[in-house]
Formats: sequence, C-alpha cells, structure tokens
Amino acid sequence: MNDIHLDIQQVDKIYGTAASAVHAVKGLSMVVRRGEIASLLGSSGCGKTSTLRMIAGFEGVSKGTIKLAGRTLNDLHPVKRNVAMAFEGYSLYPPLTISDNIAFALKATKHGAKEIAEKVSAMAEMLEISDILDRYPSSVSGGQQQRASLGRALVRDADLHLLDEPMGQLEPQLRALLRGRIKHYIKENGVTAILVTHDQAEANALSDRIAVMEGGYLQQFDSPEKLKDQPNNLYTGTFVGEPPMNTFSAKIERNDTLVRFILDQGVSLSYNISDFSPNVIDAVLALQHVVVGVRPYAIKRHADGMRATVVANHWLGDQTHIAATLAGHSVILVEHDRATDKVGDDIYINLDPDNIHVFDRDSGAAVSHGADIAR
Amino acid sequence: MEHQSKLETVLRGAALLLVVVFFMFPIFWIFLMSLQTNETILRVPPSINFEPTLRNYKALITGKLETSAASLEINFLQNLWNSVFLSVASVSLALLLGVPAAYAFARHKFKGSEDIAFTLLSFRFAPPLLVLLPLSLYFQKMGLANTYLGLIWVYQLICLPLILWIVRGYFEDISPDIEYAYRVAGHSWFSTFRKIALPLAGPGIAAAGLLAFIFAWNNFIFALVLASADKQPVTVGALAFITASGIQYGQIAAAIVMSIAPTLALALYAQKYLVEGLSLGAVKG
Amino acid sequence: MSTLELRGVTKRYKKETVVDNVSITVANGETLVLFGPSGAGKTVLLRLIAGVVEPEEGQILIDNQNMTDVEAEHRGLGMAFQNFALFPHMSAFDNIASPLTVGKRSLEEIKTGVDKVAKLLKIDHVLDHAPRELSNGQKQRTSLARALAGSPPLLLLDDPLRNVDAKLRFEMRLELPLLLDAQGATVIYVTQDYKEAMALGQSIAVLAEGRIEQIGTPEQIYLTPKTLEIARLFGDPVINFYDVVGQRDETGVFVELSQQRLLLDESKAKCVDTPSVLGIRPESIKFVPQNSSNSIPITIEAETPLNEKIVTLAKTEGGREMLISRPSGTAGPATGKAFVKIDESALLLFDQVSGKNFVDPAQLNTEREFAA
Repeated sequence: MNDIHLDIQQVDKIYGTAASAVHAVKGLSMVVRRGEIASLLGSSGCGKTSTLRMIAGFEGVSKGTIKLAGRTLNDLHPVKRNVAMAFEGYSLYPPLTISDNIAFALKATKHGAKEIAEKVSAMAEMLEISDILDRYPSSVSGGQQQRASLGRALVRDADLHLLDEPMGQLEPQLRALLRGRIKHYIKENGVTAILVTHDQAEANALSDRIAVMEGGYLQQFDSPEKLKDQPNNLYTGTFVGEPPMNTFSAKIERNDTLVRFILDQGVSLSYNISDFSPNVIDAVLALQHVVVGVRPYAIKRHADGMRATVVANHWLGDQTHIAATLAGHSVILVEHDRATDKVGDDIYINLDPDNIHVFDRDSGAAVSHGADIAR
Repeated sequence: MEHQSKLETVLRGAALLLVVVFFMFPIFWIFLMSLQTNETILRVPPSINFEPTLRNYKALITGKLETSAASLEINFLQNLWNSVFLSVASVSLALLLGVPAAYAFARHKFKGSEDIAFTLLSFRFAPPLLVLLPLSLYFQKMGLANTYLGLIWVYQLICLPLILWIVRGYFEDISPDIEYAYRVAGHSWFSTFRKIALPLAGPGIAAAGLLAFIFAWNNFIFALVLASADKQPVTVGALAFITASGIQYGQIAAAIVMSIAPTLALALYAQKYLVEGLSLGAVKG
Repeated sequence: MSTLELRGVTKRYKKETVVDNVSITVANGETLVLFGPSGAGKTVLLRLIAGVVEPEEGQILIDNQNMTDVEAEHRGLGMAFQNFALFPHMSAFDNIASPLTVGKRSLEEIKTGVDKVAKLLKIDHVLDHAPRELSNGQKQRTSLARALAGSPPLLLLDDPLRNVDAKLRFEMRLELPLLLDAQGATVIYVTQDYKEAMALGQSIAVLAEGRIEQIGTPEQIYLTPKTLEIARLFGDPVINFYDVVGQRDETGVFVELSQQRLLLDESKAKCVDTPSVLGIRPESIKFVPQNSSNSIPITIEAETPLNEKIVTLAKTEGGREMLISRPSGTAGPATGKAFVKIDESALLLFDQVSGKNFVDPAQLNTEREFAA
C-alpha cells in the first residue's frame, strides 16, 4: 500500500519557444502511492491539465522525470504507458455502441468474451447506464456519454487511471451516489487513480490526497482534512472549503496575559496567551500584519461573544448558512440546525482559539493553526 | 509535437509560398502582359525579357485603339464606369432590401418562411439563360431594355439571394437574449434592429456585400443580352478587343488589370474591417 | 413594486406544449423562484412574462393590468440572463445605461443612475471596459446592474448565477437578497439549483414539463414535497428511496426496512396495503454506537465528504444502498459494519404508482410553518 507508484520529480512544462514561452508547470514533485486516489485541483490555467497530459503522454515533459510502476514515462509512447483515461470531452467511438465502447480496451486483452460481458454489465449497473448499452453515443445525453467514458476507463486493468473532470456533466441528484460507488469500486479493485478537477466538492469526496495547484506551482498535497485544518498558505486556505474561510486582516498587540488581533473599527480578537504554545506566540508576534482565517463551521455562538449583525439567513434543508457583519467585515457561519435569526438581528459569536489560522499578510504563508505552529 | 524547430518553420514558409505563387501567378502574368505589345506576348517560348510599355493603358484611357489594320474607337472608360455604377447600385439596393428581409427570416419563423427563403435562393442556381429570353421580351415591352434601372433590377437575381442567405446566418448567430435584453430595457424592435442586430451582424453584412459586389462585377450574360454598348460593363466591353485584325492581348490584359483593381482594393480594404469585426466575436456574450 | 398574475398561460412550439396552463400570483415585493430541471419550461415562462415571447392562451397581468398584448419595451421590467446577454459592442457603462437611455433623461442623470448601481454591485472601476475584457464575475454583475438600472418594479432573473464559479455563486447567493430588498422590486427568479431556490425564494414554484407541480415556501417544499420527483430534486446528497408496503397492527401504521419497523403517524395511513415509496433524507439517518432494538445494521461502502458534511454510502443487509449525511467534525465510522437509526418523524411516503405524497402538502401549510 505504501510503495511509490507514480513518481513525479522536478517536472516543468514549458510551451512555445524561448521568445514566447508559457511556463505551465513549475518544478512539480509529487509521489502517488499504489491504491491511492489523488486529485489535481485548481482553477483553469493552474497547470493541472498540463500535468495530466504529460502523465498520459499527450505532451512532452520539458524538464524532470515521471515514473510509473518503476518505468520512466518521459519518452514512452502513450500506448505503452498502460494508463487508462476518462476524457472530459467523453471521446467515445461514435460507430460503436455504449457497450462496445466500454468493452473496447478489454477486447485487446486475454479476457474471455463472457468475462468481458460480465465486467461491462457490472460497470454499467454501477454507473446507471444499463438501459443504454445498445445505443450509440450520439443518441444519448451528455451525462450518459460521460458515464460511459468513465466506465470505459475504470473497467480496464491499468497501472494508472486518469480521470479528467469525470463527473462535470452529471445531473446533481446522481452525484452523491456515484461518488460513493466509484470510490468503493476504486478501493475494492486496488486501482490507483488521478482525478483532475476544478470542483473541490468532487476532489474532497473522492480523494485520499489532493494536490492544490495554482500558477503552475504545487501549493499543497495533503489529505482533504489536512488541507482544511492545516493549509500551508492563504491561497490554499481560502481556495479549499465551501463556504469559504472567513478572513480578517489584523495587527497584533500583546500584554502579559493577552494577545490581541486588532481588526478595523476598533474590534479586536483577544486570546489568552496560555491558549497558544510559546513558539506560536513568538512566530505571530514577529509579524506586523497578519491575516486571521476562521472556517465557517468554527464560528460558534456564545453569549459573551462579539456582536455581529445578520445580513442573510439561508436554510438549505440540512444546513443553515448565515452571513453577518462583524465591524464591517462579513462573516459566514454554517450551522446544522435551523437558525431563526432574521436579517438585522444581532448574534453573538466566538472565534475559538483552537480553530483560528494565522497567515503572514505579505507572504501568505501560514504561521499557526489553532494552538499549533504551522509546519 | 508542440515544439516548432527551425526546419519546420522553414518548411512551413516554403509550403505557404508555393500556394501563394500558385494562386497569384495568373494575375502576375496578366500584369506583365499588360505592359507588353502583342508581338512580345506571342513569342514562343514566352519570356519575361521585354521592354515595358504603357501604350495598352494609354489606348484604354484615350479610347483610341491602334491596330496593325486600323484605328478603332473603344469606350473602355465608359464600360468601367458602368461596372462601378451597376455594381454599387445593385449591391446598395440588395442590401437595402435584403438585410431587413434576412432579419425577418432569421427572427420571425412564420408558416412557409423557410419555403420563401429557399425559393429566393433557388434564383441563384437556375441557369440565367432560362430567364433571359422572356426577360428581354418583357423588358422591350416595358421600356426597361438597355436602361440602368432594368439592369440593376436584373442584378438583384444575383445579389439579393446572396445577401439574404449570408446575412440571415449572421443574424441567427446573434443570441436572441441580447436582443431581448435591449427590448426589455425599453427599446422598440426597430431601435433594437438598428442598435443591436445591425452592428453585431456588421462584419457579415460587409462580407455579403463584398461578395455580392464581386458577383455583380463579374456578371457577363445579363449585360450581354440586356444592354447595348453604352450601358455595358467591362466584362462585356472586353469583347471589343477581339477585333477583325486579331485579338489584342495586351489591351485585354490591361483592361483586366484595370477592372480587377477596384474589386481587389475593396477586398483588401474590407478584409481589415472584416477581421476586426469578426474578432469582436463574443456575440454570444 | 408590482404584483404579477398569470392566468392559465400556455405556450406551444409546433405541437409541443412547453408551458402548460400556468397560473401564479406574486405579491408586491415578493421573490418567487421558478425551480425545475432543464427543459421544464422555466425560461420560456420568464420570457412570456417579459413579453419577448407570446403565449397561445392565457393572460399576464402586471399590477392588475392586462399586459398580454403589450410589447416588451412597455412592460417596464428588468431582466438578467443566464448567459449575461451583454451587448458586445458597447462598454459596460453603455450596457448598464441601456434602460436609462429611453425617454428624456439628461446625460448627467444617466451617469448618476449608472454610477449608483455600479457602485452597489462593485463594478464602478470597470465601466469603460468592453464585455470581452470583463471577468466572468464582472460580466455577471454588469448584467445584474443593467437589469437594476431602471429601478424596475418587476425584476426577472433567469438563472443569473449559473455561469459563475462556485465561490462567486456562494457569495452572490448571500449578497443578492440584500440587493433585491434594497430595490424593493417584485422578483421572479429562475434556477435549477435547489440551494439557490431555498436561499432566495419567499416562495418556490416547482415546474416539470411545463406544469406547476407545487408552489410553497422553502419549508413546505423541502419537508412536504408533493411528489417523489420534487423530493428527489431538493437535497444534496439525494434522498434515499425504498419500495415498501405500508402495514398496520395494534401499534399503528408502519413500514419495514431491513427487518426494522419504522412507525408512521396517522397522516400517512393511506400507505397501508398500497405499494409505496419510502423517502428517507440522508440527514435523518444517524449512526448509533451499537446495535439496539430499533437500529439497522449496515456495511459502509465509501465515505465522501461534501461541503461541511460527510456523506457515507452504505448497504443494508438486504443489499439496498443508503446515503447517510452528518455534519463535518462529528464522529462516525468510515469503514466496516455499523448501525444506524432513522428519524421516523422525517419520513416521507409516496404512492408508488402516481408518485404523489400520501400527505397533502396543502393541509399542512399552517401546521408545519416554522417560528421564523
């Protein structure tokens, strides 16, 4: 389980010639273990698609090496890489039925006809496309084509499965169910998969670890929980999480017992110094300006808390999203019960010291997470 | 794949050059011919060694054609003017009628609208000779034969369907939402047509106009049958160079150069505008 | 503010009926959400109200005046489009100014009007940009600004947040109600995102195949959906459905799931001896530490976190799939066997044949109203 499977070392991708070079991926190093589901997450232009295309072999590697199962991929023809891919644009073979599309790669292997038929029908059942197996790609919906393309990739025995935005076109009602089934299937079959997506909900749901990319750089490669609880920097902190992290820029003051984060308009967050470890205090006090981040779920109501005024209260059935203003800053809270506050009501909230993240305002680097120092 | 080596750049350039030479050669050769006398043109094998002369152009502009046998009067400048006038007037009329019609066909699907649009297009692929004989008879009776008005009217058979069909496509490409947005903002349909649809279809209208202009300019058969010498465009006028004493290749070449010059200039000028207009793109918001 | 009333509005394209006998009344200053899957007829209905599409039958009344035959430009409303529909050949300023250039406003007045709404939407710094130079978020704000610029009493918003990214959509979802309140306009809002519908709508009209299936407050729609399909459309992760047959003995009405009895109140008595569909929302299933008399044993297939929730896909002993949702940060098993308990008060029961809720939402309107 812990052996290195996909090994990307110091990889660069540069498009075009020296005069008009576009540096899409910069010094990317990451290791994916066998049986792991890893995601490349980022907004468009972050380098995730270039990385995927280099692994698949659709693009050359400008610098560095990519190894898969011990073989160096750099100069290996895509066909010989033993990589299965589900394409964002489906790329189904138009003259073949959905069933033949899914079975296509299997037919080139030693599997018997009966075994192939079984695998295809199980895959179709999992993806809820059993009813369209005999139809042609052009006669089924985008969501169905996407599922067929995903099935064609998953059904293969490959060293690596690359899934490029595999669920973007699915109707929302199917997503939760299919995410669960696909994750179960991947784990059950010991598949190693790389998911490329801009949708963090999808990355969170499916991945063991997520590589957050921005500007060609890998920002952080960690488990979803760790990305949420210990973001490396302000970018990751605010990018990951929906609703997004609340942030306040603040100056810092201390006296013997208290450390104060002073926000605008005279509001300050005060904490007992004893709530933090001494090296957190030292690191925080070394900075003039910081950004304090608090996840929406970590803001709790407290009778002695700070006063905030509700500007929106949205009940979504199983969650309540509340937006409030705290000294001119907007704050978002997520609660799991129905909240009855009306717009204009005052609520009293506390920002728990265990859940505040402090970032250097200038560099964006994380300084501390709750009571602990950032690594 | 995405790397472009020096060699590739060179090869790509060479290939492009070959295509350009292939297409431009006839025009280039005609231009050379226009600067030669019949004798040097008809040399075998042909050569590009000659003493350039402007006598062909001079003959066209003065209207006096000196051949070995006789001196001939040819009113080429009148022909050129006829071409310009007929084409401009026909295209203008076709735009005036065709653009609103194209808009109607694009935006208001009514019963039979598709049939009417198709009927109009079918004028393009009916052989002109089919209509020429009856037309010339009618024109004689109505007094339209050998008039500019009659010719411009007949030229609509060429220009109108072109403009209608090309411009209709451009109107259809404009998202109706953009027009709805303007209507809902409180503007009448006519002002929406003027302020939104027309500017957005501008490049398309220009392209259609240009194309219609070229087709009108190049028309031969209608003018040949329906117009006499003083109303004939260059295409028909050029026939005059086939004289009893032989074909005046030099003058024909010069006439061709002079007659393609306006269309070429127009196309080059419009190209800039077309590209600019098309790159405005994002019609779909 | 305006009132809006639709009476039996029907629209057909060729032989297909895309809006089928729709009647709605929207009160002054109310926000009504038109919700439904794509192809349900929401957008056509909005265009009928706008007057850019004509109905075959029915009447459209604005402030009790029959507007059915009145041209779009004279209906005095504002509209924002899903694809923004900005005029590509005009600057953001001119786009926003377009509702103000009708009539006899001075340039000064137009400028003041545009600046005001641009400031409100935080796009005052990009007013001289052409639409193609705007980011997606700015385009969306420009298109909203254009709809608001004329201070129309009736605002039609056609899925305005559809084409912006998740973060922006979330931001706008919180910001938009304030904006709309400040305008004081009556709003018709089209969306296919149930969260947007619940967040923004004072009432929600659910459309399917051109017909209105249910109109109600977000509470009514979520807690007593009229049909199985509506229950499926509201909620993420999606509601669990199980085919069951209601039974009755001395303890009352019940259904069985995985050999476990789930007691139902008398309002659902119609399910007895009738093929029914049991709907269990993922959040009304809770993990319990050990097997007890009323727990159901399950095997966990996969755990998939989702925005502040943890979603678990499990299978019952009978092999039926079950989605379970719990708040992030709460404890729960990630793999293996576990036990769950189902909140019986939150169960929904539908007729298997008609798909209708056995409980008529109309009867519950007053009882189920929240204190809010």
